[in-house]
Amino acid sequence: MFCELRNVRVMNISSQSRQVAISVRDLIVDYKQLRAVNNISFDAKAGEVTVVIGPNGAGKTSTMEVCSGVRAATSGKVSVLGLDPKKDRSKINQQIGVMLQDGGVYPSARVFEIAQHYCNLYDNRATANELLDAVDLTRQKKTSWRKLSGGEKQRLSLALALAAKPRIAFLDEPTSGVDIFGRDLIRRIVRQLASDGCAVIMATHELDEAQRVADHVLMFHNGSLVANAPLTELLNSAGEHKTLEDIFRSLANNSPVSNSRESQ
Amino acid sequence: MKILRSQLRQELTVMARNGEQLLLLVAIPVMLLIFFSQTDFLPTITGDKIDFLMPGILSLAVMSTAMVSLGIATGFERSYGVLKRLGTTPLGTRRLVLAKVCAICLIEIAQLVLLIIVGQLLGWNPNQINIAQVLVILLIGTSCFAGIGLTLAGRLRAEINLAAQNGLYLVLFLLGGILVSNDELPKTLGNVAQVLPSSLLSSLLRESFNNNTIVVTDAIALGGWALAMCGLAATTFKWSD
Repeated sequence: MFCELRNVRVMNISSQSRQVAISVRDLIVDYKQLRAVNNISFDAKAGEVTVVIGPNGAGKTSTMEVCSGVRAATSGKVSVLGLDPKKDRSKINQQIGVMLQDGGVYPSARVFEIAQHYCNLYDNRATANELLDAVDLTRQKKTSWRKLSGGEKQRLSLALALAAKPRIAFLDEPTSGVDIFGRDLIRRIVRQLASDGCAVIMATHELDEAQRVADHVLMFHNGSLVANAPLTELLNSAGEHKTLEDIFRSLANNSPVSNSRESQ
Repeated sequence: MKILRSQLRQELTVMARNGEQLLLLVAIPVMLLIFFSQTDFLPTITGDKIDFLMPGILSLAVMSTAMVSLGIATGFERSYGVLKRLGTTPLGTRRLVLAKVCAICLIEIAQLVLLIIVGQLLGWNPNQINIAQVLVILLIGTSCFAGIGLTLAGRLRAEINLAAQNGLYLVLFLLGGILVSNDELPKTLGNVAQVLPSSLLSSLLRESFNNNTIVVTDAIALGGWALAMCGLAATTFKWSD
C-alpha cells in the first residue's frame, strides 16, 4: 500500500490552482563517487509548505542547495520562479530567503546589526525591528551571535531568511535544537509565510514536526524520492492512526534503491 | 551602493571587534618601530636606523592587513558558512570582494597615517615622499598579499589556514628586509629573500623614500607576484567547505 504512494500526484482543487514556484526534473547530484541525489522530480507550489523529510544524508540539503543556487546540479533541470537558479542567480536572490543548516553568521556580529545588514541587502525588505519582533528576539538586540542559545540562533537565522519578504523560503532544519515554545513560534511563522503566498521548502528529519506543518511531503531515502504527495493523501492512504514516521519506515524498507548510492 | 556600504560596515565592525586583529594591525608594527629604532639590537645599518626601518615596517603593515587579517577572517567566514549564506542574497561576488578591498584599503590608510606620525616623532625624515609613486607601490603590494591570503583562505580548513597565514607572515617578515637587510643574510638565503614579495615591497618603498625612484625590475617582479596570486585566488577559491 505504501509503495503505491511513490508516484501519487493527487491534489485537491485549491492546491491545483496554485502556481508552481519550483520545478525539478530528473535531478542528479554527485559528490565524486557518491550519488547524493538520484534522479528525482517534483514541484513545489506557492502558498504551500513543502516538507522535505528523510534521515541524515538522504539528499535533502543537496536538493535544497541546488534549488537555492548554492550548488550546481550534476544533471537535470531545475526551474525557480521560471528562472535558472545558477544562471539567473541575481534575479532569484532578490526573491528568496535561505536558512542554512548551520548559522552562516559572523560569531561576533550582534543580533540587531546582522538583521539590519540582511535587510539592507534586499530591495523589497522587512525592517530589522519587524524581523526581531517576529522571532521574539527584540530583547537580545545587542547580544552577539556566539552568546545566543541554540534556539535563539535558529530563530535569528530564520529571521534573516525572511528579510527579503521572500516568494520562496528555503528552511533547512529550522526547528533543530529549538525548545517547545520556539517550535510553536517557528511553526506559526512557517504557516503564516504560506498563507501570504510564499512557497516554503522546509527540510527536517523530525517527522512529528513535519506532520504538524506540511501541506506536501517529499520523502527522501538514500538520495531517492520514495514519496511525493500531499500530506493528507499520504496519511489517508496509510490508514487510521498511521503517522509520517510509520509511513517513512515502511517506504524506506521497501525502497529498491536503499543500497545503491554509487554514482554511475 | 547601499548594499556595498552595508557590507563594508559589516567587514569593518567585525574586524574592529577582534582584539587580536588590532594587535596584528596596529600594535605590532608600532612596537617594532619604536623598539628597534631606539635600541642597538639590529645589525649595522648605514645611515639612520629609522630611515631603514620605516619602509620595512610599512610593508609589514600592508602584509598584516592584506594577507593575514583578510586571509584569516575570510577563512573563518568560509568555515562558518557566512560566505555561503551571503551567496544566496543579492550581495553578489563582485560587491563582496569590493567591500573587502575597500575595508583593507581603509585600514591600511589608518595604519600608514599612524605609522608615519610615530615615525616623524622618532625622527624619520625621508628625502622625498612622492605620494603617487608610494601609492602605486602600496597598491601592487596590497594586491599581491591579498592574493596570497585569499588563495590560502579559499582552500584550507579555517584552523590550518590560521596556522599557515601566521607561519607565512613570520617567514615573509624575517626574510622581508624589514628588520635585517638581505645583505646581512647568508648568501643563498639572501638570494631567496630578495625575490619574496615582502622584500620587494620593502625595497621599492625604501628606494622611493630615499631616492624618489622605482626599481623597475623589483616593480615588475612584485607586479608578477600580484598577478599570479590574484589569478590563483580567483581560480581556486571555494566559497564553502
